[in-house]
Amino acid sequence: MAGEPGLRLVTSYDGVDVDVLVGRVARGDGQAFEQLYDELSAAVYGLARRVVRDPSRAEDVTQDVFLEVWRKAARFDSTLGRARTWVMTIAHRRAVDAVRRNEAAKRSDSHGVPDEVSHDEAADRVIAAEERGAVRDCLETLTELQLESVRLAYFNGYTYNEVATLLDKPLPTIKTRMRDGLIRLRDCLEGAR
Amino acid sequence: MSTDLHTLSGAFAIDALTAEEAEQFRTHLEGCAACREEVRELREAAARMGEVEAVAPPAALKARVLAAADRTAQQPPKVVRLEEREDSGRRRWAPRLAAAAAAAVVVVGGAIGIGQIAGDDGTTLQAGVVRVFEAEDARTAEVDTSQGVVRVATSPGRGEMAVDTSGLRPLDEEHVYQVWSIADGTPSSVVVLPDPDRGASMEMPAAGTQVAITVEPAGGSEQPTTEPIVAVDPGEV
Repeated sequence: MAGEPGLRLVTSYDGVDVDVLVGRVARGDGQAFEQLYDELSAAVYGLARRVVRDPSRAEDVTQDVFLEVWRKAARFDSTLGRARTWVMTIAHRRAVDAVRRNEAAKRSDSHGVPDEVSHDEAADRVIAAEERGAVRDCLETLTELQLESVRLAYFNGYTYNEVATLLDKPLPTIKTRMRDGLIRLRDCLEGAR
Repeated sequence: MSTDLHTLSGAFAIDALTAEEAEQFRTHLEGCAACREEVRELREAAARMGEVEAVAPPAALKARVLAAADRTAQQPPKVVRLEEREDSGRRRWAPRLAAAAAAAVVVVGGAIGIGQIAGDDGTTLQAGVVRVFEAEDARTAEVDTSQGVVRVATSPGRGEMAVDTSGLRPLDEEHVYQVWSIADGTPSSVVVLPDPDRGASMEMPAAGTQVAITVEPAGGSEQPTTEPIVAVDPGEV
């Protein structure tokens, strides 16, 4: 797929049924695995890029994520959530692990400043514009502290402890803001769908 | 449930806990269905936030990933679901267990020596448990669970079965393992295991009855409150 980024609009919530694909992957279906890669590689790689920064390490993370999905597809339980969320949860955890493993020392330089979502790569992004808009609109409903807490944790891989230190706020405050922020995002996205 | 712990659901959902905290929170989740639901929902919201960052990876990566998968073995389905089901008050034990039993058991075959059971790590299985594992006609199996390995032995001659739960992860003070027999989808308590190192032995259940282990609040429960970490059909061992 990746030949002409930007030309292929992937809509997230219709089209390919990721749950069905994962079910086929669980039975060793290589073709389904390839389709799953086509469907989710941009989301996985994009998130990995955002968290680990280094493109070649983001590729490694992406490969690890898809291998984990391949290995564990039979253990995916659709009653515990959607397959797409499962894959993104694995992607986030692996990206964060990569950052924590290797960048603890360097972090103060490269991740010290809260990073704004860069919108300049829009041409590369393959997610449907309306989905992107919905998420962005919903993020705007968060308070500044909620948004900052969620973003620093999610996109920079900080622990809530580190976020509290960085923002110079009490631990319980950050803990609560992180949860409240995600709840607000959830409720807003739920309403937007 | 401690309110304090509960508010960690947000941080947990976006991997913002340290490894130790996450482990603690996972233990908490086992006994808190509402928390699991919340984590599930918050993860979904976070995933959608993450997907906005989508960028197509270099084309060469695809061939690399597909080739790597081609060389990689897949894991079998899991027996374990620490997930509470609340639909219509009636637990759907039977179908899940049937599938679990079919997938579960790695038959080792033959008796395991006492040395292996008692272990080098100083575990102290009850004599009644050892007796079943050591019976002439013992059939044994090992089952992987989310909490560690459970060994099962049956002795048709003695009409007994035993579980060696010493391989299970110790639980915190607020939780215990509990053994159930399930006939026709109805679970009844066999025994609460305050000390998993001691294992449990029981009469061989009637054909078609399954034996399951769940994690319960300290003291045990009247009815299971979590999905079993393991379920076996003793007849299949």
